[in-house]
Amino acid sequence: MALAVLRDVVKRYDQKLTVDHVNVKIEEGEIFGLLGPNGAGKSTAISMICGLLKYDSGEIVIDGLSVKEHSLEVKKRIGLVPQDLALYGNLTAAENVRFFGKLYGLRGNLLKERTEEALAFTGLSDRSKEKPATFSGGMKRRLNIACAIMHRPKLIIMDEPTVGIDPQSRNHILESVKALNKLGSTIIYTSHYMEEVAAICDRVAIMDKGHIIACGTEKELRDRVAHEEKIVIRAANITPGLLSELGRHPRINRVETVQDAVELYLPSSQSELQDILFIFAKHEGVIVSLHIDEPDLETLFLSLTGRTLRD
Amino acid sequence: MNIWTIMTGELRRLLRSRTWMLNMILLPIVLIFLLGASLSGVVGGGSPETVNPVKVAIVNTAGQAQVQSAMLDAFLKSDEVQRFIIPVEVQNRGEAESGLRTGKYGYAVIVPQEFDRDIQSGVHAELEFILGKNHSDNTAAGAVFDNFLSEINYKQAAALTLGPEALAAVQPVLTEQPAVQLGNLNNGGKDYTASQFYAASMLLMFLLYSGLTVTGSLFSERENHTLFRINSMPVKGSQLFIGKMLGVGLLTGVQCAAIIFFTDVLFGVYWGNRPWLLMVFCLLMIIASMMLSILACMLCQTSEQATSAVNFLTVAMTFMSGGMLPLPDSWVNSVGAFTVNHWELQAMIKMMLHSGFEQLLPNLLVMSAICLVLISGVVFTYRKVGYQ
Repeated sequence: MALAVLRDVVKRYDQKLTVDHVNVKIEEGEIFGLLGPNGAGKSTAISMICGLLKYDSGEIVIDGLSVKEHSLEVKKRIGLVPQDLALYGNLTAAENVRFFGKLYGLRGNLLKERTEEALAFTGLSDRSKEKPATFSGGMKRRLNIACAIMHRPKLIIMDEPTVGIDPQSRNHILESVKALNKLGSTIIYTSHYMEEVAAICDRVAIMDKGHIIACGTEKELRDRVAHEEKIVIRAANITPGLLSELGRHPRINRVETVQDAVELYLPSSQSELQDILFIFAKHEGVIVSLHIDEPDLETLFLSLTGRTLRD
Repeated sequence: MNIWTIMTGELRRLLRSRTWMLNMILLPIVLIFLLGASLSGVVGGGSPETVNPVKVAIVNTAGQAQVQSAMLDAFLKSDEVQRFIIPVEVQNRGEAESGLRTGKYGYAVIVPQEFDRDIQSGVHAELEFILGKNHSDNTAAGAVFDNFLSEINYKQAAALTLGPEALAAVQPVLTEQPAVQLGNLNNGGKDYTASQFYAASMLLMFLLYSGLTVTGSLFSERENHTLFRINSMPVKGSQLFIGKMLGVGLLTGVQCAAIIFFTDVLFGVYWGNRPWLLMVFCLLMIIASMMLSILACMLCQTSEQATSAVNFLTVAMTFMSGGMLPLPDSWVNSVGAFTVNHWELQAMIKMMLHSGFEQLLPNLLVMSAICLVLISGVVFTYRKVGYQ
């Protein structure tokens, strides 16, 4: 059963299409990744799902309720973890969680229990009486999450929750996402880090310039670009003649150079590897290393847009 | 319930701010003390004045052999007059003038020959007064002899109308009332001190400055991104806005009460005999201040712009209303009537002087009207712009 449905949703800013006829169904209980470069329209889409922005046309339905018509009811079912830290600096961690919990309608013992639960879940129980100013970046991010989950929402939306934090905190957050999902929450996770999305999401939608350009499981998406492999060869003495001859090879689709490496895109690496090594030897190119990349979401994005995710 | 949660959250955050406590409560009290102490000569009546009895040279132009005016003699011997006049008989005008120059006498009266007879026969008669060096002495002695002449005029009028025998029937009336009365004869005999004036004007200025708390509160929510989070929660925009304003308003009320309490206890500032009306005026000022600041927040793009606008309005209105220093009658003073401080300051001073309610009513009506206009402006702007 679909928990969130976006039907032909359009949002314009000054006549510029920011979200362009987006259609997505997010099933209950899944972790849904929204992947795309900065400015792709991910945050705008999320803001519309949360009722923070009005969409120009189309329809968004959460748990059977239209966001436009039942905004407050929809908001009760959602927990938003904003991209920017949204905390009060002069309240303690527990007070922050409690304040936002009250706004979700929690009171008395239930509020107390849920506050403790959210802080324990994010590993902040022992720092609950401290103010966020004394926290590391990762701890602030975790508190940011705690403030959004204490009311046990059906749908948790995490907008780039791992921006600017250390690997340890990132792992903690990714584990938390999985744990929340196991506890029954459906999660929409946006990021421009392909590895994160690939690691935790059941399905992924790739967004660019307001469009959903691909949507499916990671395997489904990889299969779309399985017809093309990438060989990365680090070498010395990469000459224009060498690159030119590689480019003329009938089975090599594309040749790119990145610093001292040559990236070759071709349908199958195995059958052409001998030819490639021969061309290098002919032009006296000294190979330092050779690596055959499996197709990934980055490759898919590149093949669909001609750009990398971090462009 | 959301309004309550937001209001208490706002109170908690503000009360934890030491800067707020220092700026909004301690600073006004220190300022009131400094201004009240240093400008006590500029504002208010200062300490009550006393008039010492004036030595008055009485020159009898009839010469030593003649009897001085019996009427004047009787007048000068009355108890009421002796509180202010010490009559000293001198031989001639020269001696009187010399005594006035040296300060031996404070005032001189020259009594013409046949003064009493002229009065009784209804012909023209006059006393000649020579003023001394001291203004207060001249005022006091002048008032006493004016009183005497009034009585004489009254008696002469009676004699001319009813005949000389009527004089005996005329009761002396003038000595029944004091010739000189000390103190401020306006404002029901009351005056305000510099401390009172500056306590009122600084209270009003800092209530206007509390608008900065409003701008800080509204903009910080945006800058902390907490506004984004709250907007994603089941909270109506109006609930958030009202809750925040109630929190700031309540705290401004506490600030106002603290300033009034501490100035009363520490510096003996008397705030008048109408505490409830004082509360109403303070409430109106808090509303006006908050509405002005909200308008500034909604119409400005950044917190810096809004803060500058509130600062400018506060200083300009305090100055125009004469809150920094009483202004002479000029166009600046006239423009002051268009500021909220003007109506509030006048009302507070009137309350300190125990003015009647009918004198305070215009101020109350004008302030209520100003608040209504500002509230309407805020509602209209909120509907257009919102709080996002």
